[in-house]
Amino acid sequence: MGVLHRQRWCGATGLVVPLLTLASPAALKIAGVAPSWAVLWLLPWALVDGPASGAVAGLALGLVLDGLHLGWASEVPALMLLGWWWGRIGRRGLPIERSYNLGLLAALGAFLLGGSLLLQLRWHDHHLAPVAGWHTLFAQSLLTGLLAPVLCSLQLLRWRRVAELRGG
Amino acid sequence: MPGRSLRVPGLRKIVDAWPWWLLLLALVGVRLSKGAGIVDAYALLSRPFWPGPAQSQWLRSAQLLQQQASVEQLERDNRRLRALLELDRNNGQRVSAPVISRDPAGWWQQLELGKGSSDGLRPGQPVLAPGGFIGRLSSVTPTTARVVLLTDGSSRLGVWVARVQRHGLLVGQGTPRPRIQFLDKDTGVRPGDVITTSPASTLVPPNLLVGVVQSVNEDLAPAPDAAVQLSAPVDAVDWVQVVVR
Repeated sequence: MGVLHRQRWCGATGLVVPLLTLASPAALKIAGVAPSWAVLWLLPWALVDGPASGAVAGLALGLVLDGLHLGWASEVPALMLLGWWWGRIGRRGLPIERSYNLGLLAALGAFLLGGSLLLQLRWHDHHLAPVAGWHTLFAQSLLTGLLAPVLCSLQLLRWRRVAELRGG
Repeated sequence: MPGRSLRVPGLRKIVDAWPWWLLLLALVGVRLSKGAGIVDAYALLSRPFWPGPAQSQWLRSAQLLQQQASVEQLERDNRRLRALLELDRNNGQRVSAPVISRDPAGWWQQLELGKGSSDGLRPGQPVLAPGGFIGRLSSVTPTTARVVLLTDGSSRLGVWVARVQRHGLLVGQGTPRPRIQFLDKDTGVRPGDVITTSPASTLVPPNLLVGVVQSVNEDLAPAPDAAVQLSAPVDAVDWVQVVVR
C-alpha cells in the first residue's frame, strides 16, 4: 500500500464522485450520457497508491454508487478489478504520465465497467434494448477517455507530490 | 371695340377654374367605377387593422378556455360518478416535490426528488409531471425519493388505448421511447393513438395521459407491439407531483 490513503483529505476527495454522479452536469454529456466519474477518480488514485489500496477504493466507490442506482446491478466487481489492475500498472515500469496513455486506460476502464453493467442488466430480466445498451457503453467510454487526460493528469500530479512528501 | 371679346367674364372664369373641373371629372370617374380608387386606398391604409393573426388568437384562446372549463366540469362529474360506483379508491392528496437530480439517459432512468418519507411519500406511489404520468417511487429516505421512470428497463405499467379499447403492457427499454406489448393479435392501434393509464387501475390514478403511439410493429409474433412517445418531457421536468394515499 502507498501513503495516499493515510491522508484523510485525499480519500475525502472521493466524495466528489457520488456528488458529480447525482448532479450529472449537462455540459459534460454526450447524447445524454454522462462520463464515468468513478473511473476518472479511481484511475489516478490506483496508479499512485498501488493495487491493494486501488481495490479497496474501488470497493468503497462501488458500494456508494450502487446505493444511488435502481435495481441490483452492481459496479463493485468491475471497480475492484480496475483498481487492482491500475495499481499493478502504477507499481511496475515507468510512471504513466502521457495523456494518451491516461485516456486509453480510462476509456478501457469505462468500457469494462459499462460492459459488466450491460451483462448484469441482461442477466436480470431487465428490458434493455440492445441499441440503448451499446449507445450508453460507447458514449460513456468515449467521454471518459476524452476527459481523463485533463482531470486525471491534474490529480496524478497533485497526489504524486503528496506521496513524495510523505515518503512513499 | 378691342378687348370686348377678352372681357367675357364667364368664359374666363370657367377656363381659370380648370383644377376644379379636373376634380369633378375625377369624382365622376370614382362614381362610375363604383368607388374603385377610394376603396383600394382604404384597404391599403386599414390593412394593419384587419382581422388577422391577433384576432384568430383571441378566438383560439376563447376556445381553449371553453374546452378547459368543460374538461373541469367533466372531471368533476366523473369524480362524482366514480365515487357513486365506489371505483375511486385513490382520492389521494398530491404532494409537489422538486427534482434534485435527473438522469434520464445512461444505464438507469431515474429522478431524485427533494421530498421523502417525512412528507408522506412511500415506495410505489405514482409520480405525475406537467404533461402526464412519468413513473413510480422505488425507494424513499426521510428527505429524498427515487423515481423509476417509465423509460427504465425495469418499468412495467398496464396502459389503455381508449380509441380501440385495448389493454397493453408498457415496458421500458432504456431508450426515450418505451414499447407497448399487446395481448391479442388484431389490435387496430394506429400511430397517433393516445395512451392513458388503465381506467380500472387502482395502483395508479386512472385515465392519466401517458403518451402517444408513434409506430406500430404489426409483424411481431405472437402479438404486435408499438413504440410510444411519452407526453411529459422527462429530461426537462423540474417539479413533479406525487399522489399520496
